[in-house]
Amino acid sequence: MELQLGLALPPPPLIPIETFDLNSYGNYETREALGSNASSWPLLKLGPAGNDINNIHHHNSSSSSSSSSGGGAGCKKRSFDEAPFFDEKRNVPKTLHLLLWTNQPNDEDDDPSNVLHENSSSAIFKNDGEGLVGWPPVKTWRKKVHHQIPNGGAENNRLPAVENGIGGRASKSTYVKVKMEGVPIARKIDLSVHHSFDGLTNTLMRMFGISDGNRKIFKLTYQDREGDWLLAEDVPWRTFIRSLKCLKLIRSRG
Amino acid sequence: MQKKTAHSFPDEILEHVFSFIQSGKDRNAASVVCKSWYEIERWCRRKIFVGNCYAVSPTMVIRRFPDIRSIELKGKPHFADFNLVPDGWGGYVLPWISKMAGAYPWLEEIRLKRMVVTDESLELVAKSFANLQVLVLFSCEGFSTDGLAAIAASCKNLRELDLRDSEVDDLSGHWLNHFPDTYTSLVSLNISCLGSDDVSFSALERLVGRCPNLRRLLLNREVPLDKIANLLSRAPQLIEFGTGTYAAELRSDVYSNLAEAFCNCKELKSLSGFWDAVPAYLPVIYSVCSRLTSLNLSYAPIQNPDLTKLVSQCPSLQRMLVLDYIEDSGLEVLASSCKDLQELRVFPSDPFGEEPNVSLTEKGLVAVSSGCPKLQSVLYFCRQMSNAALVTIAQNCPNFTRFRLCLLDPKIADYRTLQPLDVGFGAIVEHCKDLRRLSLSGLLTDCVFEYIGMHAKKLEMLSVAFAGESDLALHHVLSGCESLRKLEIMNCPFGDKALLANAAKLETMRSLWMSSCSVRLGACKMLGQKMPRLNIEVMDEKGPPDSRAESDPVDKLYIYRSVAGPRFDMPPFVWTMDEDFASELS
Repeated sequence: MELQLGLALPPPPLIPIETFDLNSYGNYETREALGSNASSWPLLKLGPAGNDINNIHHHNSSSSSSSSSGGGAGCKKRSFDEAPFFDEKRNVPKTLHLLLWTNQPNDEDDDPSNVLHENSSSAIFKNDGEGLVGWPPVKTWRKKVHHQIPNGGAENNRLPAVENGIGGRASKSTYVKVKMEGVPIARKIDLSVHHSFDGLTNTLMRMFGISDGNRKIFKLTYQDREGDWLLAEDVPWRTFIRSLKCLKLIRSRG
Repeated sequence: MQKKTAHSFPDEILEHVFSFIQSGKDRNAASVVCKSWYEIERWCRRKIFVGNCYAVSPTMVIRRFPDIRSIELKGKPHFADFNLVPDGWGGYVLPWISKMAGAYPWLEEIRLKRMVVTDESLELVAKSFANLQVLVLFSCEGFSTDGLAAIAASCKNLRELDLRDSEVDDLSGHWLNHFPDTYTSLVSLNISCLGSDDVSFSALERLVGRCPNLRRLLLNREVPLDKIANLLSRAPQLIEFGTGTYAAELRSDVYSNLAEAFCNCKELKSLSGFWDAVPAYLPVIYSVCSRLTSLNLSYAPIQNPDLTKLVSQCPSLQRMLVLDYIEDSGLEVLASSCKDLQELRVFPSDPFGEEPNVSLTEKGLVAVSSGCPKLQSVLYFCRQMSNAALVTIAQNCPNFTRFRLCLLDPKIADYRTLQPLDVGFGAIVEHCKDLRRLSLSGLLTDCVFEYIGMHAKKLEMLSVAFAGESDLALHHVLSGCESLRKLEIMNCPFGDKALLANAAKLETMRSLWMSSCSVRLGACKMLGQKMPRLNIEVMDEKGPPDSRAESDPVDKLYIYRSVAGPRFDMPPFVWTMDEDFASELS
């Protein structure tokens, strides 16, 4: 109680506790981004009690864009036609209002809402489209296995092991272990992203923190399917890729 | 007799009574009844679960529970599985092992999940706990076969060694040779994660042959198909078996040996492995299929019709893991033939492909939901979904406890109506009252979070990605989900205000992860200042917080409660927003 009273004191922007409504202030991106698409949404009848849940609408909104990823904001935003839904006097689930937004010492130079706006447009969906980090949520370990399943890979991204079919490495993983002389913990690299000895060597040097001046000291060796250790650059790249089981950087002697 | 009833029991009696209370939750509840119960309970607690290794220090655990026999520890946040936690973040087990080595000489069980386990830790385990029986390293990393060799050599009573999904550096395949010839106590061995050089087959064969109680054996991918018959014939008592590579040229002798070996395993209930599986050898398992309760084909690139034919042979399945090669048609067969199915996981065969490579849609899941009334746990990757389908699924399966739906295109709408999937997920939380775990995907607005806050009263873990529109979304969840313990969010346009408004809620939870959301440094600082028992970790490679503006967005945020204070092993890219830090800057 005390806390609540205390929190009711600060000057606006103020959120009345009874109707904790974050939309009631602040200049949200959503409001602006909606633009003309706003009216294209069929108004969802989503009562707070969820009693309309079984009532599925089958509107095919012709004006809505059907592409949803990386697409315009229109598709992913909900119309604020529904805004009254949030403004209703309703039972907000009880919460522990230990802190309210208004408790923040007012940042003199920026209106929180503006900052939020900037953030949401520039930072949030920066990963949109290609190369999402962490998406889809498939375990790293599982991903590696999946790369190797025939027919599973995308056409334009044929992996060496798959390409080589049965003649490929014993393990069809595109990841191979790399050991370096004097370093106890081995690493793994993805061969499918390398297409030449140069590229591969560069990656390895970076991985083990070897400076350009020192790279001549190291030689890249590999173990083939028979278990023999060979010098990598003695063989053509394709042969190397095909028979490679494991990599090792050794110090050249003399 | 002068005391009240509860106190009239001698301590020994109460201790005996407590020994029947198995669940940690119940023990916790008993321990807060009164001081004497607290005292008695802590002396007789044998088993402890620490859901976050940074929430408490090993010293505190040892001080309170002097005689622990079994410990389960978890390290990194769950999103580490998806590469979201930077390398070197932490989760080291060594400090725990070091402390326990002195305090718990009788320790029998160590179960670790997502922790960094070095060879040094394993050597210390081997040296310190002569009576160790169970070692489970689930999604752990940082150790090699040398550490395993130390365990094999010293832990003479080891019953279970499970390396599920761990990253093991293979220095030598001879670690299995370190099990002494007199060692016969193995009951469960899972080496499915090991690489090519990690397993000496002859050593494995001898080990399997001399352990009469072996019930569970999960091999790694490098064990060739023609070796399996031999292994199986040495262990016909197996209940759970995971094959290695399940591909070879078809040879009649290999085929008949395998068929016979499987046929002789009268106890088999669970099969997995099947790496690179080829259809030609599938019929050898038909003889055991009718008994199988669990089948994991999630690494098997078998397609239809072979896959569906196999499924139709397994009427007793309770748990099925499979790639999306099963397609809608295969799931329909599953639905009609497996009436006891409780858990279904369908993984993508091509998670990064632009175009669907299989015909797997919402229809398959709808079919299973209507055909399998006992279904309670689902993980389903697919490319299209509709609200209507979700509503049907929810009505068919009110017993769901876990529902994880992953639409590969993260912001895809109901493909029929082009509307958000709010209503569909809303139906799931409304109908499934026992839902403990939920993962959302697809196009979702704040509405779905309102439904979740309103209905999902038993929800303990929620995963959110690319969803919601404003802080109201997060507020609904934090204020409504009473049982929420873990919340993980990526790429959502909300943060600060809802976090601050529900700061106290965070203390009741185990952890909150937010990455690529709308969280600002200022809000994190304030949280840290006001909530001293929360560790607020900001992960950012852009530079230390004191060099940055309050309004700077925070890339990754991990919040968890802790009675141990800020941790001491933070890498340079992690900062905690503790009290001192905040006051220094204000």
